[in-house]
Amino acid sequence: MAAAQLGGAIRGRTAIVAAGNTAQGTIPGISADELAVEGLRITLAEAGIDKSEIDGLITCKSFGGFGIDTEIGRLAGLNPAYSATLDYGTCNFSLHLACAAIDAGLASVVAIAYGTNQRSAGNKFGHPLGRQDEASVYGFLNVAGPAAMAFRRHQHLYGTTEADLAEVSVSQRRYAVDNPLAIFREPTSVEDYLAAPYLVAPLRRPDLCMISDGAACLIVARADRAAELTDKPVHVMGIAQQTGLRDRQNADQWLRPWIQQVAERIYPAAGIEREAVDALYIQDPTSIWVLQMLEYYGFVEPGGVGEAFRSGAVGHGGRLPLNTNGGQLSEAYMWGFLHLCEAVRQLRGEAGARQIEGLRTAQYCSTFGFMKAASTILSTEAS
Amino acid sequence: MSGYETPETQDDSRFWDAAAEGMLVFQRCDRCAFVRWPAAGVCPECLDRGYTWEEVAPRGTVWSYAVYHRAYAGYLRERVPYDVALVELECGVRLLTTLTGFDDDVDPMGAAVVARFEAVGEHERVPVFGPA
Ligand SMILES: [Zn+2]
Repeated sequence: MAAAQLGGAIRGRTAIVAAGNTAQGTIPGISADELAVEGLRITLAEAGIDKSEIDGLITCKSFGGFGIDTEIGRLAGLNPAYSATLDYGTCNFSLHLACAAIDAGLASVVAIAYGTNQRSAGNKFGHPLGRQDEASVYGFLNVAGPAAMAFRRHQHLYGTTEADLAEVSVSQRRYAVDNPLAIFREPTSVEDYLAAPYLVAPLRRPDLCMISDGAACLIVARADRAAELTDKPVHVMGIAQQTGLRDRQNADQWLRPWIQQVAERIYPAAGIEREAVDALYIQDPTSIWVLQMLEYYGFVEPGGVGEAFRSGAVGHGGRLPLNTNGGQLSEAYMWGFLHLCEAVRQLRGEAGARQIEGLRTAQYCSTFGFMKAASTILSTEAS
Repeated sequence: MSGYETPETQDDSRFWDAAAEGMLVFQRCDRCAFVRWPAAGVCPECLDRGYTWEEVAPRGTVWSYAVYHRAYAGYLRERVPYDVALVELECGVRLLTTLTGFDDDVDPMGAAVVARFEAVGEHERVPVFGPA
């Protein structure tokens, strides 16, 4: 099936009506599920929406298997018409499921609730020992390993330098200076970056995100309900996904070239050209993901990421703002939820000191590890 | 349930046992010859279940590598810094491994490599790769 024949064109039918979150950091003494409910409470309160409006609940598992709809529904006192839990709840996938449920008539106002206590729980993202496998034998632990290999491969193919990669985290940190939610707010420079020791060479600490405790929540509604619930709906124009489920059998596994297939679908689905994107959000558990997606979505030429930042084509102060919250590299991991919260706030003009003026269209690109990719285009206008 | 054969549990122990004897072995599909790794009860190319464990040539090229300066688990503390590499074998499998025998001033990216069988950490005789 040709890419453009797949669906995902949902403009005019679904909108985000609220986005909220708790503080990020170390929040001991509260479970991941309770945090998710706290995120839901904050979001509803800020938006002035009563929980009785919710007839759909989508949750996603956090570290340790927490976060299932049955637990969170019970804690939140909800009997929604529709509910589901994603094992890989990274934000875009939860949003897409909410849109699909609304489009199918299963629900009309869907809460996406995510909470995590990975920081308090001490999740090191290490590989479990036990069965002898390659990863444990050779010590291939943490996402930093495949990310580092992907970057070294990229260097080999395109001549990308470590100073080029530095631009990603340095640019994002400049936004974080104005973001009270961010864990890392100190400005940094390419020189600072290059002076930092390697964690998994060629990656350094600024290339990796901070794991936090916290919660985020979004409320997605059918267009008619959205109009009743807010005067500032953020319309979901188009959604697209692609998997790489064959995983290690895929060519260039960690480079994930199949992400390009999402790029082929998302702009036709949203009914816009790529050039119409005013702000870009890229999920960035590692800085390599930003580099990869800028290229795969066609915003920069392969190997041109460093120059794109230096020339002002993308990034802080540039023509295309990128991760105006500071991204996961500054804010917190939170499975990419805070990118979507930020995109909603920017489109609504509610981003405070870091507000970019005149934004109408934003794109959010994300992945789940090495197996799934997704993108969403949001707009202040329904068509 | 006559006629239904309980599926054999697939694990990679045959690979590690062979490595201890200085060989690289993988499952090769009896129908389409696709080489499976990790071990699997079904061929991801043609979905056939039949296979034969076969020794393959221990040669390939370095697809990429990374150098761990941080130990993400306690058992790795005495090993840092260490490298992890992905080697693309002639049989098509991409094998996670480590590199050995390269001079410090040589960048092993893309290098032709051949398997050696050596201890890694507490493991006895696992495949590592060095200059061909
Ligand atoms: Zn086969």
